[in-house]
Order: sequence, then C-alpha cells, then structure tokens
Amino acid sequence: MTDQASPAPVRTQDRNGVSRDHPLRKLRAKAASVTWVLASLGMFVGIWELAWWRGWANPLLLPPPHIFLSNMPEQFRFFDPNGQRAGALSSGGSVWSVLGVVGWSSFRVLLGLSLGFVASVSVGVAIRYFDVFGKLVLPLVTMLAPISPVAWLPVAIFIFGIGNPPAIFLVFVAIFFIMVLATLSQIDEVPAHYIQLARVMGASKRQIYWGVILPAILPGLFVTLRMNLFAAWMVVLIAEAVGVGSGLGQVTMMARNTFNASLVFFTMTLIGLAGFAFDQALRLIQKRILWWIGPSNVGGL
Amino acid sequence: MTLGLSISNVSKVWNPDGPEPMPAVQNLTLDVALGEFVVLLGPSGCGKSSLLYIVAGLEDATGGSVTFDGLPITKPSPERSLIFQEASLFPWLSVRDNVGFGLTIKGMAPEKRTKRIDALLRQVGLGGVGDRRPHELSGGMRQRAALARALAMDPKVLLMDEPFAALDIQTRARMQDHLLDIWQSSGASVLLVTHSIEEALALADRIIVFTARPGQIKDEIKIDMPRPRDRYAPEMIELAKRCEALLDEEVTKAFKQQELS
Repeated sequence: MTDQASPAPVRTQDRNGVSRDHPLRKLRAKAASVTWVLASLGMFVGIWELAWWRGWANPLLLPPPHIFLSNMPEQFRFFDPNGQRAGALSSGGSVWSVLGVVGWSSFRVLLGLSLGFVASVSVGVAIRYFDVFGKLVLPLVTMLAPISPVAWLPVAIFIFGIGNPPAIFLVFVAIFFIMVLATLSQIDEVPAHYIQLARVMGASKRQIYWGVILPAILPGLFVTLRMNLFAAWMVVLIAEAVGVGSGLGQVTMMARNTFNASLVFFTMTLIGLAGFAFDQALRLIQKRILWWIGPSNVGGL
Repeated sequence: MTLGLSISNVSKVWNPDGPEPMPAVQNLTLDVALGEFVVLLGPSGCGKSSLLYIVAGLEDATGGSVTFDGLPITKPSPERSLIFQEASLFPWLSVRDNVGFGLTIKGMAPEKRTKRIDALLRQVGLGGVGDRRPHELSGGMRQRAALARALAMDPKVLLMDEPFAALDIQTRARMQDHLLDIWQSSGASVLLVTHSIEEALALADRIIVFTARPGQIKDEIKIDMPRPRDRYAPEMIELAKRCEALLDEEVTKAFKQQELS
C-alpha cells in the first residue's frame, strides 16, 4: 500500500509544471484581473464621454466623469458626516468628511448585515431544531418575507424615530426573512450521509447541529449573504434619504432637490466603489474562514 | 444468546402508508458470526442497502428482529460503523479531524486522541497527509480516511455500502487487499454490499446472493479458499460462473420490474 501512501499532487500544478501557488503566476493572474476591471470601467466611461463630445448628452443632466470628477473640493462641501439636513453647507468640505459620510453608510450596512445574518441563521436553525417553535414561527416568516423593506420604512421610523437605528433596522429586515428561508433550505440539503455518519459515531442532536449541520450550511449562506449585500446598500440609501439625516442617501437626496447632477453622479460613484469594496471584503472573509467552499462556487469577479 | 449479528425474518417496506408502498426486503434471515466476512451480492435496488441501514440502526425494520450479541438493535451505535460509497468526509475538517470526529464526540482527551489518530492514519497508509483537506486527496485516499474514521470507533461490525464502487479498478484491488489486512487484524465482522462478483469472491467468507426486489436470499455460497485468492484458480472460476448465473436471473427480473414501473 506504500505506493499510494505518498500525498497525491492534486491540482497544484498547471500543465507546464508551474505550481499554482507560484508567486509570479499569482501576480500575473491578479494583474490580468485588474486589467479587465479597468477595461470594463474604461469602456463605460468612454461611451459616456463620447456621448458628451458628440453633443448627445446634455452636460447639465448627464455630466460625464471628467466634469463631475473635476471639481472635487466643490463637491466635498456637500458631505457632512455629522448629519445636517439637506441643503445645509456647514462643516463639510474635506476628503475626511467624504470618507466620514461613506463610513457612516458602510457602518449601517455592516451592522445591519451582521445582526441580520446572526439572527436569521439562529432563527432558521431553531426552526428546524425545536419542532414546536418551527411550526409556530415558520408561517409568520413565510408571510413576512415578501414584504418589501421599503414598506417597513414607516414602521422603522415609528419605532426608532430618526437616526441610525431605523436605517440599521431596514438593512436587517431586508435580509432577515430571506436568510431564514435560505437557512432552512440549506439545512434540508445537508447530505443525509453526513448526518447518518454522525449518528453512527454517537453524536447527539446538539452535536449534530453544531458539528455537522452548521459548518455544512455556512458557506452556502455566506453566498446568499453576499448576494443580498447589494439589496442592503439600496435599502440603506433609502433610509438615509428619508429618515436618518446623514450618509450617502442624504447627499443623493440633497443633490436631487438642488438639481445638482454632478453631485448625483459623484455620489453614485462613491456608492459603487463602497459596494464593490464590501463585496471584495466579504469574498476575502469567505475564502479565509469558509475555505471549504470551492473557489468555483464563490461566483462573481 | 447468539454472539454476533442475528437478522431474523426481517422485512422492510418503504413508504408503508403511502399510495405506493415499496417492499425492499422480505422475510430475510441471516446470521453473521463474530469475525466473519459476509458479502451481500445482488442487482441494484434489491434492498441490500436497506438491510444495511436497518443493521446500522438508522432505519427501523417493518417486521422481524435484528439483534447484536443478543441485544435488539434500536438505534445507531459506534460498534456498528458505516462506510458509504462516497467517502463523505466532512469537507470543513482536516483528514485528522475527520478521523478523530467520533473520538471527539466520545470526549477523548486531546493527547490520547492525537496518538490514536496518528496510529489509525499509519494503519491505513495515510501517515503523511493528516493535515490535508479531504478535497486534496484522491478517491482511494479519501476512502482510506473513511475507513480509519470507522476503525476509530473500535467497531465490532463494519457495514460497508459499495465502498469501492466509485474507485478505478487498480485502486479498488488495492483497497480490497487493504481491507482484508485490516479486517484480519481487527477481528471485526464485515457486512459488505456490492454488485461486483469479482469483489465478492475476493473478499467473502460467505456470499449471500439477493433476489430482485423485494430482497430475499436466493442462495448462499461459502468460500473456504485462503486469501489472497487467485481469481484464475479453477475453483474460483467455477464459483464466479455460479454467481453469474444466479445474478443474471435476478438482474433480468430487476430490469423487468423497472420497465413495468
């Protein structure tokens, strides 16, 4: 049996015998990936700029990037992390204030997502674990799931007033019900063999849930979470536009009210960048912590 | 009291209260002595696996009784370890932690556990790969890890559901030799399901040939040849022919059943 005992070199080399983990190869792959991102962005910007140059796009309504990115300090004035209401030009004006505004929005998304993830997975697992609880709660979850988070907005403001909590609550609601249902479907799809083996080895129900079901469902749930990340960003902007008084949503709303098209697109750029950064960060966490999901199942870029 | 495994008059109907109850096993009686290697041979879907699940304690029989060392089997137990066709190692654990999963459940002390895992990995020839992840191993290595995981529980019976069916022929032959070594040194009984005549002849003390569904015992073939066996020895060829003839009838029946349903 010794001939097979040596570790098999499974999928660690490419056809030319260069190790997959070779730093040069990694660097090249990274460079190629970044090049494509830039090309994709460049194409979009190019078409827009062309439309402006040919006179197809009115620069007052659809200012191309070279216009809305040209006068940064002018734009920065509108960013106030301390949350003055729309139209006020107060303490804003520096790069830091812009980062502060992005930071606040990101914070709300992050907190809402984290709370939503933990709560939904816990509730989902509890529904399967405790029979009576499941029968009592599942119909409710199924009925509440289709309600748009926007419909929760007045409720959020009734309960929490104005400020951070309603925005965080909206993000929470936006993912909670969907994630509970996703948790249930993930639990039901855990291979029967895993559970049978654990039972044969003497695992109790509790040990099976902690040691087998939870690790088996986490990767799939993390992918669901990432897919809902963008929904969370949409929702937080709505909440900020209406009931928070600070953040990117509030700036967008102010830009709309003052017909400042440049500011609208500048803010949209920031939202896009922040969302992209979030997705990359979650992807990294997924790779590091939940490594047992294959790279092919990560999806996206 | 009979020592070992005693299956008497066992029946299993899947979906008994549904619109189409499906009988899987019917009035089956079989004893497996301590340390005996019994192979269940039969066409696909003949209820062999169902019987294995009942013995494992994962499914209840609809009728009859199954006892182990005289005690009725009502629930799964580490003394009856199970090995599936796909290794089903937990992908989130290293090979070591997979092998040690049952030991952790038992609450074994870490140092003792580490020693035991090392010994098991060496026993199955995986000494160097304990810290790898299951997806980094070949199919044969994964199946060895699964074997080590089962052996960790010091089973009195190894229940194996087509354990080598997913492997290529060369690896399969090695794994069979390997299994025989382990079986002989552990003293456990083995109940192994297969549809490969060759595999049955290479391994078994006794081959139980199943009928098509619902599974019953069609015939029983004792093999007294010492192992490793030469499958081209005249007696072995005779046995192979006999098995093939028996199996052929049942496969034909099974095909007809499938066409009807």
